Amino acid sequence: MESAIDRTNMSSGLTADELMALYRVDEDDLQRIREHGRIIEPRLGELIEEFYAWLRRQPEYTRFFSDPDKEAAVRKLQQDFWRLFFEAKVDDDYIRGRRSVGEAHARIGLSLQSYFAAVNHFLMMINDTYYDGSQSGDEHGATVNSVTKMVHLDTSLAVESFSVAMNRQLTEQSRAMMEMSTPVTALWNEILMLPVVGIIDSRRAQDVMTAMLSRIAETRSTVIILDISGVAVVDTAVANHLIKITKATSLMGCECIISGVSPAIAQTMVELGIDVGNVKTTATLQDALTQAFRQTGIVLSGQ
Amino acid sequence: MPDRPRHIPIGQEGDVAVAIMRARQQSQEAGFDVSTSCRIATAVSELARNIIKYAGQGEIILRRVTAPGTSGIEIRAQDQGPGISDLERAMEDRYSTGRSLGLGLPGVRRLMDEFDIKTEAGAGTRVTIRKWL
Ligand SMILES: Nc1ncnc2c1ncn2[C@@H]1O[C@H](COP(=O)(O)OP(=O)(O)OP(=O)(O)O)[C@@H](O)[C@H]1O
Ligand SMILES: [Mg+2]
Repeated sequence: MESAIDRTNMSSGLTADELMALYRVDEDDLQRIREHGRIIEPRLGELIEEFYAWLRRQPEYTRFFSDPDKEAAVRKLQQDFWRLFFEAKVDDDYIRGRRSVGEAHARIGLSLQSYFAAVNHFLMMINDTYYDGSQSGDEHGATVNSVTKMVHLDTSLAVESFSVAMNRQLTEQSRAMMEMSTPVTALWNEILMLPVVGIIDSRRAQDVMTAMLSRIAETRSTVIILDISGVAVVDTAVANHLIKITKATSLMGCECIISGVSPAIAQTMVELGIDVGNVKTTATLQDALTQAFRQTGIVLSGQ
Repeated sequence: MPDRPRHIPIGQEGDVAVAIMRARQQSQEAGFDVSTSCRIATAVSELARNIIKYAGQGEIILRRVTAPGTSGIEIRAQDQGPGISDLERAMEDRYSTGRSLGLGLPGVRRLMDEFDIKTEAGAGTRVTIRKWL
């Protein structure tokens, strides 16, 4: 079965050999890169100098190189990298190194635009500005081709781990938001309420259950209202979680009322075939509150 | 809505949320009412969760479909996981190898107008569902 997107496979890391095959880099390419290295290396210091002159003109520069020590350190790393690049030894160590470069760039929040611009600038310098013209036209053409393939391979590694790191950040952020959003509130004596909004996954369901149970223990409440009017869908997994939650609260002597079951959600649950058993549900929060008052013996005057 | 299919990679629980939201939005844009959009989004949720739970990863593809005199939405959920060894039982209510309710697949069939499932041991599973306006 074909699949257009196979993300895990891409990020779980191809081996050095697989990558070389993917970018069609072979031994001849590596050999040409090494030879080219012999032309470039004597002027590597100069090349890096020029690169930093270019970098200083870029708008993002001051954000990343506010102190001179930092620039010196990064410059050293860059010099090491190009030495390594011209050694042209693509093994798993090399690849690991390049992946960590991508992560480092994601960590400091460098834009991909800037990263690509820098790679492009380097490529131009290596293939053109710092080339001494010593090879025949064909030879040089082949070398440029080899260097370009290798730079692409290299960039793909950095960009890929860059995006993995970004994704991880996003996941952590949304997780953090979710964790902040289980506010169990005491509505009345012995009556608690917790609104859940958005999408419930198993981790979130666990958070909700934990938050509910610990507040029940603290407050000795006898009724807790779980309002799901802000929940996008109640599928079988969510229903299963809700049923478990109500079971757990009742073991603690607290009845759980699930409020905010919209007509759309009610119909969907019926068609799915979900049997909520004796779980108490209501259409609105107000209905749930009325029930809770009745159950705890609270009588509102003036009704 | 553009006619190009939308691919949503499914590999972690956060992706399920994305699929649900997209499905709901596209259903509404296609002209389905709130209640039907809720059914469609729920069906997507079931299939996406099955991918994560049983296959690890896969994808959901949403697209607009047309037929003489009507139009609708098609959802395809596919993975290259282990496949379903006993499809007949998997389509029955309350059959689950994952200690869950076992209502996902049969429920999705009830929620939608068309339901098609292809699965092969070791090769994966592909579920295609449609809802017409
Ligand atoms: N994508 C899949 N790959 C492999 N097996 C699957 C897949 N989807 C479903 N199955 C199998 O089919 C069974 C029935 O699926 P179904 O969605 O109906 O129930 P469930 O996921 O076990 O429980 P529920 O969906 O009610 O939480 C599953 O228990 C599993 O064994
Ligand atoms: Mg399921």
